Amino acid sequence: MESEATLDLFGSEGEGDTPAPPPPPPVEVRPKVWSVSQVNRAVRGLLESSVDPLWVGGEVAGWTRSRAGHCYFGLKDERAQLRCVMFGREAAQLPTDPEEGMQVRVFGELTLYEAKGDYQLVARRVEAEGAEGLWRLAFEKLRAKLEGEGLLAPERKRRLPRVPACVGVVTSRDGAALHDILSVLARRAPWTRVVLRSTKVQGEGAALEIAAALEALGASGLADVIIVGRGGGSVEDLWAFNEEPVARAIAACPVFVVSAVGHEIDVTISDLVADLRAPTPSAAAEAVVPDASVVLEMLRRAPGRLGRALGAGSERRRAALEQRVRRLERTIERRFVPARQSLDTAAARLERAAHAGVDRRRSSLVALGGRLDALSPLSTLGRGYAVPRAPSGRVLRAVGDFPSGFRFHLRVADGSVAAESAGPIEREDAFG
Amino acid sequence: MADKTSGDLPLEARLRRLEEILASMESDEVPLEEALRLFEEGVVHVREAERVLASAELRVEELLASGRLRPLDVQKD
Repeated sequence: MESEATLDLFGSEGEGDTPAPPPPPPVEVRPKVWSVSQVNRAVRGLLESSVDPLWVGGEVAGWTRSRAGHCYFGLKDERAQLRCVMFGREAAQLPTDPEEGMQVRVFGELTLYEAKGDYQLVARRVEAEGAEGLWRLAFEKLRAKLEGEGLLAPERKRRLPRVPACVGVVTSRDGAALHDILSVLARRAPWTRVVLRSTKVQGEGAALEIAAALEALGASGLADVIIVGRGGGSVEDLWAFNEEPVARAIAACPVFVVSAVGHEIDVTISDLVADLRAPTPSAAAEAVVPDASVVLEMLRRAPGRLGRALGAGSERRRAALEQRVRRLERTIERRFVPARQSLDTAAARLERAAHAGVDRRRSSLVALGGRLDALSPLSTLGRGYAVPRAPSGRVLRAVGDFPSGFRFHLRVADGSVAAESAGPIEREDAFG
Repeated sequence: MADKTSGDLPLEARLRRLEEILASMESDEVPLEEALRLFEEGVVHVREAERVLASAELRVEELLASGRLRPLDVQKD
């Protein structure tokens, strides 16, 4: 049909004068008509089959997030703009939304949105230029927010108990962090009780789990201090510790919280909110308990200090005591015999513990028993003092306590003797 | 005095009490009888604290979601 018409056309050119033949009967020339849907589907197919997923760099324009969590935005340079969409599933992985005009690179596939005929980039990943990009932005945003609420203020920091009886730990039961913490506690402070609340420390839902664990452990009232953390990892791995729920749970915790996330260089939001930031889980454990040797050193010095204090007090009281020593006596037997017994049992217990080879440092404690004996106030009696007491046990200290003929007991260094008062004498300063 | 020296007093409290005793004995003119009492109490605290330090096994428990505690057996070198 087409060729016929063309021939006619040439014919008419060649023979100008020939009267035109009657027009051919009208022929239905019906071009193929596509529906809009067909066209869009076809172009979409072309686009999707001929362009591999790719990275596109540009400036963010008009980023919006729908209620369903999908993000719509434009990417532009000086001359052109490209529509982009990032669906909720991927958008949920973003640490934060990029800001207007931010330079980003987007990875995704080109497609056509058939309903509107717009072609667009379906974004799978959005990364800001520069180290850590969006992560850094999210970090700074949250830090500014918490700072604005005063949650990072130094005066909010709680006091670290010197010798916590119970250390709470929030981390994964299976992680290296728990192992490191327990090793240090076992070495430095084996008397400590440890209560673990195991959580996910990365991935979806980790932040909420960590926050709930902090709350539960804090509310249990068991822990005197809590270590929250995990071992090192990528920015993404550590991200839970940069999320708001964890920050708020740390701030609300009733006890001292040490944050120990990753290795030395990683600073997280939880580090900033916590009462103490430890560079590693091991360091956190070191920070919360004193070394056994430090406590032992204090204990070793204590008997000496006690004894010296007692001696100094005795010197100050010497004059007054000596004036009255013939009339005033004190009974300390009742007080001392049980005390001596408990010292002896304690010494025996201590010796057993030392012999058990618990720690070679502790063996020197055995020497303490001997030193304590030397410091005992009983040695004062050995110097010639005696203490009077009534048969009832009451200490006798004034002239009026000794009516003539009154029978009482005198406690001396190696025992007690019965005595009887001959009544008060005139001169008080008979002694010395 | 029994409550101050009893065996289940936390180590922290015991050490704090010991320091109180030392500070009081070293600074105040406490009467002899009181000084002797403090001395005795201090000695008991020293003994008890040492006893606590001598316990060699770290006790590790897990706080479960139910609120119950379960002993946790872990490798700790």
